[in-house]
Amino acid sequence: MADTKQTQICPVKETRQRLFSMLEKGGLPVARFKRWGEEIIILLDDIINGRAGHGHMETIESLARRITDQGADNGCSQWGKEALDAISIHRELFESHIRTRNCPVTDCVTLTPAPCQMACPAGIDVPGYVTLVGLGRDDEAVEIIRRDNPFPWVCGLVCTNPCEFMCVRGRMDKPISIKYLKAFAAERAISQGRYQNPPKAPEKGQKICIIGAGPAGLTAAYYLALKGYGVTILESLPMAGGMMMVGIPRYRLPREVIDREVAMMEELGVEFRFSTRLGADVTIEGLRKERFNAFLLAIGAHTSYKMAVPREEDFPQVVDAIHFLRSVARGDRRAPGRRIAVVGGGNVAMDAARTSIRLGCEEVTVVYRRTHTEMPANRDEVEQAEEEGVRFLFLTAPVEVVGKDGKVTALKCIRTELSKPDESGRRRPVTVEGSEFLLDVDIVIPAIGQAVDTGCLDEISDLSWSRRKTITVKGATMESSVEGFFAAGDAVTGPATVVEAIGGGKRAAEAIDRYLSGIPQPELPPVPVRRTRLPVFEISASDKTNLARPDMPLLNRDRRRITFQQVELGFNESAAREEARRCLRCDICVRCGRCVDVCRNEMKIDALQLGYLSANGDQTTDLRITAERCILCGACAANCPTGAMRIEDRGDERILALCGTILNRMKVERCAVCGEFLGPARYHDFIRNNIIRIAQTSGDTPLCTRCARKRAAGKGSEAFPAGKNI
Amino acid sequence: MSKYYLFQDVKKCIGCHSCEVACKTNKGLPVGPKVCEVITVGPRFVDTLPKAAYTFMPCYHCEDPWCVAACPTGAMQKRKKDGIVFVDHQLCVGCKTCMSACPWGAPQWNPAIGKVVKCDYCMDRVDRGLKPACVTLCTTHCLHFENAEAPRPIRRERYARAMAALD
Repeated sequence: MADTKQTQICPVKETRQRLFSMLEKGGLPVARFKRWGEEIIILLDDIINGRAGHGHMETIESLARRITDQGADNGCSQWGKEALDAISIHRELFESHIRTRNCPVTDCVTLTPAPCQMACPAGIDVPGYVTLVGLGRDDEAVEIIRRDNPFPWVCGLVCTNPCEFMCVRGRMDKPISIKYLKAFAAERAISQGRYQNPPKAPEKGQKICIIGAGPAGLTAAYYLALKGYGVTILESLPMAGGMMMVGIPRYRLPREVIDREVAMMEELGVEFRFSTRLGADVTIEGLRKERFNAFLLAIGAHTSYKMAVPREEDFPQVVDAIHFLRSVARGDRRAPGRRIAVVGGGNVAMDAARTSIRLGCEEVTVVYRRTHTEMPANRDEVEQAEEEGVRFLFLTAPVEVVGKDGKVTALKCIRTELSKPDESGRRRPVTVEGSEFLLDVDIVIPAIGQAVDTGCLDEISDLSWSRRKTITVKGATMESSVEGFFAAGDAVTGPATVVEAIGGGKRAAEAIDRYLSGIPQPELPPVPVRRTRLPVFEISASDKTNLARPDMPLLNRDRRRITFQQVELGFNESAAREEARRCLRCDICVRCGRCVDVCRNEMKIDALQLGYLSANGDQTTDLRITAERCILCGACAANCPTGAMRIEDRGDERILALCGTILNRMKVERCAVCGEFLGPARYHDFIRNNIIRIAQTSGDTPLCTRCARKRAAGKGSEAFPAGKNI
Repeated sequence: MSKYYLFQDVKKCIGCHSCEVACKTNKGLPVGPKVCEVITVGPRFVDTLPKAAYTFMPCYHCEDPWCVAACPTGAMQKRKKDGIVFVDHQLCVGCKTCMSACPWGAPQWNPAIGKVVKCDYCMDRVDRGLKPACVTLCTTHCLHFENAEAPRPIRRERYARAMAALD
């Protein structure tokens, strides 16, 4: 039932269990040491349950050392040694549990992170900010997001939202609109003047030079500036934003959005040197003279791949997508031609095609060698391109650029077929012999991928490069092969997403901080941090079920074909708040399925229909159906390891709720003597049915256990009245 | 009934609650559940004097226990060899139906583990030839754990002594 087929063992939890069982078996025979041992167990439980603070490790170690040192004569030292050994082997993991309140192997259940947070390359605490948006606390939501991602507004508009693909609500109906809620919160907070930088640490007096003002460079700049470093960013373009500015078209991401968020970095004292190209305007040698203590290479991947077809280089009408999008972004709004062929099926191809439509090109065709299903572009992007009139030629590959008198007249294409899946399951396109045809076009825009412009880094001769010509780094720390040089963004990953660049930039900033503070670098990749733990909203099962993900309102189709106005118009306030209330709070419920198992297989009541708890989603989910059979026995709540399922007596009712969703509520009967809550009539009927063959209990006065015992004791003493001498 | 007989000599009991402490310590129970309990009945006037009785309330280990019938998971069981009624924590899911079914309030709720706990005459001790913890630690020796088929005739002996009046 659980998501993970096989839970890995967390060394922190394993250590706690082992020490506890040694303690139980008398591993600490001296009372004083046993007391210390129990204290260590309590502290370990704090770590496992996310309640630990900075002093926990120190205290545990000092207690364990005292047991080891003083307990040698009476057989106690072995226990202390076990504790010290476990800590020294797994220290990084113990500390990560305390710092991130997150168990990477999802073994410590109350620390198991939500799938959305784990899917986010920047590790944003999604359930935290979604809940805050639901509560109307937009500025706090922005503050939570910005602890992991300094671009909530940008990402709220253009993120590829891997989180939504993991969203558990998607198994029920549709995922939460995690992406857009970020933009909503940021827009609100900015407009109300409540989008503020957190306080900055005192100046450290050390300087860092970042090459490239794209998402990776800016993110690193933000976190380093907050830590008190002096940050200088070199940028070859005359404005900040990198690919966000010159790659992503304005109809998806207005320039003001980028400018506003970059302004927050300027406010922290980050220095920008625009129109400054490494290798041309400045050299590493020259920068070293400025006494920078560390460098971050975040130069992106701004060189297009060639199609590798004949005559590709012969015509000025073959313009790669990156150049095309950049010149449009920088203000050139002339139509490049009448009929356009865009080659490729990724997001860049969609951007180029939709931009061409807006510039007034009459016929825009996307040529892609696989089918609709294999297109790497975002679904929404493809759909919107179709709506705007972009045509698609699937299973087609370019073979030659055709033209005369120095002008392109057509793109010669060939039909393809998909091969049988190879070992990796991928189906290769295979050309169909003799199926060549001419696509009449006057402009060809290849959008088949980008590479890193390695030329500007030639000077750093020791820099090691991967086979794909990207900078090689250690994944956990983004350290390159050259000391003091870190790298992040597309320059490391190859062309990827904004949020991946942000994640890399943040990792690099943390590693640079450790490098300059003389702290050893971790071996393990960083784990997303739980930033907050918010209470759940109370909501009825039918509301929780019926709330539907709102459709994103879009600009009308005609205007989309003419202007660069933002296409996605955003949710209104009530839609955004309601959307947040759909969240299933997977930061609390870990979907272990124990509640369903207990109710169905052990109590044999089968009231809970929570199919979404199972990863394969082969069972139905209906939150509203619980009340039909549930007797409110509370066994599900008693077995819930995280407190997601709760049973509570309120007023004259007993209420069962899963993460705030009220699954059942019934009136309870009370003890005839003391008035204690006993349970609803249906619960007592269930018991009566079970014991009916041996007892007729109906008509008895209902009593709680304490009063039942008292009454029985009273009766017993009547039988042997006090005072009689027997 | 089980083949054992746990007899409280009410005359000797002073209501010190040592049995409760021994029981909870032996079972490692937190605040809340009292697997056995001494309940003070009274005080009330007998002739001109106030008197109280201390009634020891363990589980009676019924012949046909309602708790066993009520339990939907089979966690509550009656042991074949000696009739001890006990709860198997591997099977208990904490639905509390046994607690509601028992007319004597014997099954108790252990909030630390979310399961029911009840008197099992300290099965583990009995199997090792020991007596239940409450009996072993009873300060006045008012608790006796015996074979039900051959109980010591305590009350009979005392009555006989009183009648003989040899003094």
